Amino acid sequence: MSRNVVIGLEIHLQLKTKTKLFCGCSTDYIGATPNTNVCPICLAVPGSLPVINDHAVDLAVKMGLGLHCDIKDKTRFHRKHYFYADLPKAYQITQYEHAIAQGGYLDIVADGKEKRVHLDHLHLEEDAGKLVHPTSDGRLSGAAYSLVDYNRGGMPLSEIVSMPDMNSPAEAIAYITQIRQLARYLEVSDGEMESGSLRVDVNVSLSNADGSLGTRVELKNINSLKSIERALEYEIARQNRVLDEGGQLVQETRLWDDAAGVTRSMRSKEGARDYRYYAEMDLAPIDAKPDYVEKIRAAMPEMPWDKRARFTEQYGISFEESQQLTEQRETADYFEALVASGAPAVKAANWMRMEVQRILRDAGMEITDFPVAAKELGSLIAKVESRDLSNTQAKDVLGAMYDGGLSLDAALKKCGAAGGRLTAEALCAVISKIFAEQPGAVETIKNGADKKGAKQKFLQGLVMRETRGSADPTEVAKTLAEMLAK
Amino acid sequence: MDFQKLSAREIAAGVKAGKFTAVEAARDAIERIKKYDKKYNSIVTLCEERAMAEAEAIDAAVARGEETGPLAGVPYAVKDNFCTQAIETTCGSKMLKGWLPPYDATAVKNMKEAGAVLVGKANMDEFAMGSTTESSVFGPTLNPRDTGRVPGGSSGGSAAAVAAGFVPIALGSDTGGSVRQPAAFCGVQGMKPSYGQISRYGIVAYASSLDQVGGLTKNIADMALVMEALAKPDDNDTTCDAYERPSFTAAVSGASLAGKKIAVLTGYDRDSIDKPLVEAADRAVEICRAAGAEIIEASLPVTMEHTVACYYMVALGDASSKLACYDGMRYGHHEDGKNLSEMYKRSRMEGFGEEVRRRILVGTCILTRGYYENYFVPATKVRQLISNEFKELFKKADALICPIVPALAYKRGLVEEDPVRMYLGDVFTTMANLAGLPSVSINLGFTPEGLPTCVQMLAPRFGDAELLSCAAVIENAAGAPEPVTEKEGC
Repeated sequence: MSRNVVIGLEIHLQLKTKTKLFCGCSTDYIGATPNTNVCPICLAVPGSLPVINDHAVDLAVKMGLGLHCDIKDKTRFHRKHYFYADLPKAYQITQYEHAIAQGGYLDIVADGKEKRVHLDHLHLEEDAGKLVHPTSDGRLSGAAYSLVDYNRGGMPLSEIVSMPDMNSPAEAIAYITQIRQLARYLEVSDGEMESGSLRVDVNVSLSNADGSLGTRVELKNINSLKSIERALEYEIARQNRVLDEGGQLVQETRLWDDAAGVTRSMRSKEGARDYRYYAEMDLAPIDAKPDYVEKIRAAMPEMPWDKRARFTEQYGISFEESQQLTEQRETADYFEALVASGAPAVKAANWMRMEVQRILRDAGMEITDFPVAAKELGSLIAKVESRDLSNTQAKDVLGAMYDGGLSLDAALKKCGAAGGRLTAEALCAVISKIFAEQPGAVETIKNGADKKGAKQKFLQGLVMRETRGSADPTEVAKTLAEMLAK
Repeated sequence: MDFQKLSAREIAAGVKAGKFTAVEAARDAIERIKKYDKKYNSIVTLCEERAMAEAEAIDAAVARGEETGPLAGVPYAVKDNFCTQAIETTCGSKMLKGWLPPYDATAVKNMKEAGAVLVGKANMDEFAMGSTTESSVFGPTLNPRDTGRVPGGSSGGSAAAVAAGFVPIALGSDTGGSVRQPAAFCGVQGMKPSYGQISRYGIVAYASSLDQVGGLTKNIADMALVMEALAKPDDNDTTCDAYERPSFTAAVSGASLAGKKIAVLTGYDRDSIDKPLVEAADRAVEICRAAGAEIIEASLPVTMEHTVACYYMVALGDASSKLACYDGMRYGHHEDGKNLSEMYKRSRMEGFGEEVRRRILVGTCILTRGYYENYFVPATKVRQLISNEFKELFKKADALICPIVPALAYKRGLVEEDPVRMYLGDVFTTMANLAGLPSVSINLGFTPEGLPTCVQMLAPRFGDAELLSCAAVIENAAGAPEPVTEKEGC
């Protein structure tokens, strides 16, 4: 029996602010000594009161606008209560009924098809502290005691809750990737899963034959895109199997065990907590007036999908090329600078995707750290276009510019390509020299015994090597043929 | 110098004029507390070292001819739920016994800026929950007017310290009458300003939407000085309003009721209130009329019927939330347990007293799914109705007069047997907190047995200066209460 897969996602994005959501403590906590980025407010010391970080509100509004949400002018916070060591106040300050951004959607491309994923809302909340269990594998079980690090407590998060609009693991992955890209474009978040600045909870169910929704299972604790894909595949298979065997699914929260590759039950609906949501009276409501929202909207950069569409249109490159070039805003900026410096768009795209990407990949480097200025690379490509340099030569020159940190001129000199394009006379001289060195091969060709053209290709290769790539291969082939015909 | 007889204003003037020093005033207050407070237990921690340092700084400034604050050299006490840097702050609870806050409350900072000298932390009902100051881990405070009676609560220690003449000023916190009711019981003036008038930063919370810093003083002119020192916007408290405050002292010095409309509360059962208190309210009305005010009658049917129930829903729900941070982990009382849950249970069971546990449990219940919809949500709606009723009233009147407490100071131990009766005693005080209004308790003299009688005045939100002006008129006619005069040790 075939059942439809229904997936909804909750994504926590850590906002890129300098200070925490409700106090002045630094957000730069990775690697910091435990419990050093803390103050009376984030430790819930008696008498302390939270004060909203306006910049976090700006970023949430920005992300909301990017996701086509409706920004609410009057919003407020609630307290979500639970007793646990990671939560100093014993409640988390979060937005509940009155989230700052409501509705919205995100268009994704999965399996080559475009699809619109609708959103429920985006809200602001503070992060909890982190528990450290002194066991060899870092797990709670077997630990005699646990330590708490409150450096992460109070970090600003925006939670983006989607509607259950995704129908395959591939769509879920495309959605997360697209959210991450947007967050980076807007400089709202680093969006890194490894460091925890992007975290995903997955809701998955199988719809019944009549289209009604099946029992929903929530998956937590998944730390990479690969794991999300695996967890979803496992869970879909598990649910199908249970239903195939005539069993019943229970509404529950399950944890993904990455090592074992399985999901395990954490708590059922009956064990669900009553959070006793209660209005946070210590914080005045947020008043996002229309002119404030418009100011943020006006300062927003071009959206990644708009850029992608514009690139294919304006530069005549393929969708895939455009997608690659716009994946990171900085890559797109570099590409446009390259084109602006005179490089033809299609060639520039090729250079970016092949040579530049290869260097970055090998060096484990980001485009922002790439030492060759777009203008310099543009001049190099221009030399290839005017046939002053061959592709091979140009690649060597780029390598020299990157490795030695050289300017274009210095790199050209170093590679012996400074003289510019090989003249026709020089080429003839080289060919004559090769003929003199390889009389046998010349003889074979002139006798018409080089049926497959192997000897001619061999000679061409020698010419290319002799000219160290400064000759244009088409020109070499043409001249070679002319001289052999004499 | 007999400092006990001086008001805050007189002490500041004396210090500035070089008639005596701030150190002398502080030393005198501390010595008298040491000598006589065994009898009342109003001060639980003396801040001798800090007081001397603060007083010396004032004296040095005076000697240099520098401008000193309006409360220069005035000794004062704060309720033990105000955070004071490196000085034990307990909220009268075993839960916080020995806790030294890393910072000063904004109110404490502002008092220092005005020149006041902190001499002690005042006793209180545990976590400000109670009406008798009998639930403190330091033991009960006794009423200086009659030690067989309670000083009221929860700022009972603050009220008693002023009534005993130890300090001319004490600060308290008022969530449902916790400043005004003990002021009434101890025969001093007490004020809870509008919600949002004074920063709550550093005041250990009871209920966020109701708590407000209040003042206890010998007279209304001193109250104006205190309010002027405290009522300022604060970046650390977003609920503290940013509006520009008028001059409270100017309002008091030019006090007049000519042309004012004063409403008198009707529609409550006068027979259920102790007779001297009904008479005090009547007398206050006559004073206002004689001073040229137009008297109108007004009833607040929704408020009078629902204020106490509504107050306890709102306050206890909030308290259960704000007191959840006491888990024995980072500060405060800690008990070991087999696991996290047991550690929490034992720390809270041992750390909190009975009244606090009762209120946390009721509050938790109120916020639990089902009860929340049936009790808490209706309470917030009723709160809005109460607010609206006052808004309507203050369209017609500048201020409202009514009793502040239904009974004269309770005998000790009386209320312990019947907490509900204690709760019902809050009928006239809680409405000001629910509606966010300013309210003062004004002393109208004493019964033949020496028990204080008093009246309450309320005004529209942020009409605090006007309210003090009206209160000054009543005080001028009735006379400010003199503190108890201590002659010998005990």
